[in-house]
Amino acid sequence: MALGFNLESSGGANFLPIVKFDARSGRIFRRDRENNENVDVDITKSFKAVVDFENLEVGFINFNTGGAPHFAMATYGDPMPEKPSPDHKPGVRFVAKLASTCGGDVREMASNAKAFLIGIDALHNDYLAGAPKNAGKLPVIALTDSVPVVSGEGAKRTTNYSPVFEITGWVNRPDDLGGSTRVAATAKATPPATGASKVAAPSKKAPADDEDFG
Amino acid sequence: MNNNFAKYGIEHLSPSSCNLFTASPAMFVLQKCLGKRTMVGAAAHRGTAVEHGIAHYLTTGSKPEAIDLAKAEFAKLSSMTGDPRQDKESAAIADMVTIGIEELKGYGTPSSMQGKIEYKVEGLAVPLIGYYDFEFEQHGALIDLKTTHALPSKISTNHARQVALYVAARGDNLDARITYVTSKKSATYQLENKREHVHALEKIALTIQKFIGISDDPYELASLVVPDVDTFYFSDPITRQMAFEIWGL
Repeated sequence: MALGFNLESSGGANFLPIVKFDARSGRIFRRDRENNENVDVDITKSFKAVVDFENLEVGFINFNTGGAPHFAMATYGDPMPEKPSPDHKPGVRFVAKLASTCGGDVREMASNAKAFLIGIDALHNDYLAGAPKNAGKLPVIALTDSVPVVSGEGAKRTTNYSPVFEITGWVNRPDDLGGSTRVAATAKATPPATGASKVAAPSKKAPADDEDFG
Repeated sequence: MNNNFAKYGIEHLSPSSCNLFTASPAMFVLQKCLGKRTMVGAAAHRGTAVEHGIAHYLTTGSKPEAIDLAKAEFAKLSSMTGDPRQDKESAAIADMVTIGIEELKGYGTPSSMQGKIEYKVEGLAVPLIGYYDFEFEQHGALIDLKTTHALPSKISTNHARQVALYVAARGDNLDARITYVTSKKSATYQLENKREHVHALEKIALTIQKFIGISDDPYELASLVVPDVDTFYFSDPITRQMAFEIWGL
């Protein structure tokens, strides 16, 4: 299994705006911020994106913290991090640039839903297979279907939907996806500066010589 | 979403309460969870009074009136504090108003003052609210005024988070600035990394929510933190006594 998850036994969102796959409905939403509130826009039918699989992160995610989700991630290919707690589940996180038809901006996608991981694992396998012939390029993906995944029995029987992604092409890395190497993804973040640049109050402008058009 | 705040009667958080939790979790518990009222120091009243005076000047243009108003406001606010720094703060009022006027008069009349903002955070059961000092729509600038006895060389992190929130709520295209005024000089700094500072405030607010969700018993929350009684938060004798009675320290 390409991503190294044990999907048989198990069960993002920081500075970038997010796209999320709702495994319960099998639909993809773009989360926008309007009037200080989150608005989920259904982009299932139009979804198309360039995915930065060069900087894919795998690890453990806890979305049920009561607050911001907690990530313990490593770049794909590096040693997996320790599982921080029993509440953390295997998950993935990556960045994608949406096609102009479904938003056009760079978004983060993260999930620990088993149904999602099944679909993303298959997509990643396709990526690994196609990458050698498309050196330096990133895959363009589309959502072609979502298939039901039934788990549990009796009263605990639930149905989730696993995405079926397809690589529809390969393109050069878009500029706004950032660096092409893993160094960019793993570079140590630093605290944000607050500001030390002095600014003066606007000065009153003297009337221009040609102000009077008579 | 469970509202952990309801049991303590907390209807909102603010940059101030988030900064308080960051600086002194014990004082946060004392005020917000145990409901104890603590003294507001003369320095805080000085800030309010100076802002009052400068706001008057920016809307009327009268400096003598602005100074008189600021002094009167300070006298009214600080009359019951018993803070030993009251005389020192009172003596600085006129100069701070004068310096602040010189720093800000170039902006003209504010398009709004003391405007309330409300900002909702995903996963947070209560909103963040706050009140900005001055917005100059004609210049696309929002300015918060801070009075101090030592002029800083840059914006403090707490102030950065506070003003970043105001701008996030009012519109990200606004230029966020913070004006620091002492009795001798002043400086206005441009806020950088607004989004990151708002994000920090969101994380602090969510941490508070998680913290108070630990227990319905405020004394259990108190048992999880320890006051640093050497900080100014506990310098008032009555507050110091409260800390001793609650924490035995």
